[in-house]
Amino acid sequence: MSQAADSGLIHTFFNADIVRQTSPMVMEAVGQTIAIGVLVIVAGILLGTALATWRFHTQSRVLRALIVGYVDVLRAMPPLVILILVYFALPYVNISIGSVLATFLCLSVILSAFIEECVWSGIMTLPKGQMEAARSTGMSWWQSMRHVILPQALRLSLPQITNRCIAAIKNTALGSVIGFAEILGSAQAASSDYANPTPLTLCAILYIGLIYPLVLASRYLEHRAGIR
Amino acid sequence: MQEILDTFFNPAVAVQVLPMLLSGLWMTVKLAALIIPLGLLGGLALALAHTQTRSRKVRIAINLYVDFFRSFPQLVLVIFVSFATPFIGIELSPVVALAISFMLSTSAYYCEILRAGITAIPAGQTEAARSTGMSATQTLRHVVLPQAFRNVLPDLLGNSIEIFKGTSLASVLGMSELLYSAQSAQSVLFNPTPLVLAAAIYLALLWPAVRFISALESSRRAQGG
Amino acid sequence: MQKKIILEAVDIRKDYGDLRVLNGVDIRVREGELVSIIGPSGSGKSSLLRCCNLLERPTAGQIIFDGEDITRDTVNINRVRQNMGMVFQQFNLYPHLNVLANVSLALRCVGKLGKAEANAVAMEALTQVDMAHKRDAFPGQLSGGQQQRVGIARAVALNPKIILFDEPTSALDPELVSSVLAVMKSLRERGMTMLVVTHEMGFARDLSDRVIFMDGGVVAANDTPDVIFSSQGNERMRSFLSRFLNER
Repeated sequence: MSQAADSGLIHTFFNADIVRQTSPMVMEAVGQTIAIGVLVIVAGILLGTALATWRFHTQSRVLRALIVGYVDVLRAMPPLVILILVYFALPYVNISIGSVLATFLCLSVILSAFIEECVWSGIMTLPKGQMEAARSTGMSWWQSMRHVILPQALRLSLPQITNRCIAAIKNTALGSVIGFAEILGSAQAASSDYANPTPLTLCAILYIGLIYPLVLASRYLEHRAGIR
Repeated sequence: MQEILDTFFNPAVAVQVLPMLLSGLWMTVKLAALIIPLGLLGGLALALAHTQTRSRKVRIAINLYVDFFRSFPQLVLVIFVSFATPFIGIELSPVVALAISFMLSTSAYYCEILRAGITAIPAGQTEAARSTGMSATQTLRHVVLPQAFRNVLPDLLGNSIEIFKGTSLASVLGMSELLYSAQSAQSVLFNPTPLVLAAAIYLALLWPAVRFISALESSRRAQGG
Repeated sequence: MQKKIILEAVDIRKDYGDLRVLNGVDIRVREGELVSIIGPSGSGKSSLLRCCNLLERPTAGQIIFDGEDITRDTVNINRVRQNMGMVFQQFNLYPHLNVLANVSLALRCVGKLGKAEANAVAMEALTQVDMAHKRDAFPGQLSGGQQQRVGIARAVALNPKIILFDEPTSALDPELVSSVLAVMKSLRERGMTMLVVTHEMGFARDLSDRVIFMDGGVVAANDTPDVIFSSQGNERMRSFLSRFLNER
């Protein structure tokens, strides 16, 4: 490739002036994305673990079926469909939520379904003797759950949980479709303002910087789980 | 109550938009039928290269590729490929842009799954096959891959469901698949029933698949495998 | 007149990094012979066997099979292996295929037989190991002894010039050992050439033409079972054999 074409490509895809002008806006979006990502992960893990525990605890077949149904429905529908449904359909009954809140709610609920599945699978993998041993020492069901079963179940499914959390962070990009100015949304806006793809390149670099370490962490966790 | 039904589950609207949604669904199915096999083939090629090569460099390169594309939201790839390429004079049709961006990331996911499946097959299986005079390729095809595919079937199906769901991103490029059709119908008729209906169609299509995977996984847990 | 040599290992060395597991091993197996290899664990018995069909590449030395040096790079090892069966300690049956398909797979892939023909040959082999009635079962449904008999059938079906046995009964429960040994005995009666790494001293003593005692990566003794088991060998061999003889 000739020097001229090379600098032309860089000028188009990574224009220093445009980087300088758009980066404050995009960096603000990074903060928003991280904040929403963290909130979604916390809410999703808490709700998902609670659901799995409830499913394990309850004797009611109906309740169990309801939890399974909740999980299945959320696993079967595209996140974007759920997001658009919540954002565009609710105003018809005069419930109007902002794009940020809608993104947070939808992604948390979706993540909770996947986490429930992971934690449940972890609980099921544990030998029955674990609960029996804990109960035999006089611990209550909840104490056994909190100190013996859940720590092991979460540990067992840690690689899958990490992967689902990475997916949840990536799904924040869907917020751009309903006007949430997270990284992708603000980059797209800037890109069309300047008629130049540099903000999109910047956006891609930011995602790599944000998520690549998490992907490496999940690879490490999988590797560790594999040799144990 | 009646008001809610009329708003979200309006039968008249439903009947009116059903043909449109079904043609959107057809587009969704066609997209999935294009994208899933492409990703699977790409992933298989990468996984075979990774497990069969003696070169450390090739393995590192594949790992980098996989991790790189696992780090992007699918939508970012879709937008980047379709909106950035025109700036260098390449005009991709939405289908091609979508296929390329999905191929890049889904092959990475399929590669991870298949690689794990292949490496989990004990070395004795390969040795037994090679001891009967079967070539390395025959051993892969008849002994290793069938077992690997069977062992990772739940993960393969799960990933394929994710990709099927991912075709809804085509709506962002203005392709009239299921979600896009529902959105246009909703804005024209000023009623959310088409969106609800579209969600119900996705559910009807994918719920059995999700159930099947869960059943498969729990039966394998029961076998201790 | 002596029968012709089927398999010959010449000055075989095998290193794993710094560890030398075979240090100049020579063995010969003649047509129709049953040769047992015994010795303490870690003496290199299995490594030697796996070098014979090049599942492990010897670091140095030659393997001459049926008059041909198969350690040369130009040799098509897949063609050679069709004539050199192997039976594994862990059976290594293919869990996704039923018994018949386990035996017929190589016939179809390598021997290029049609399905019906391959199945007929496989059934014949299965009959020899008394497993024909389980043709439709999957390996997971069989006992260890049954699996190993299928493993033997898989090797027999190729009609090889020699079969290598790598501790064929070591992974079996004691009560299942005899059925596998009986099959091996009947193979010997049919004139099959066999090279057997084993811990079954009774088998080695009663059925072998020759016994090779390996120790520390070399052949420490190579003689008839009568000589070997009469404990005329060196100190190491006597102590190794005394454990076995005391069990009697």
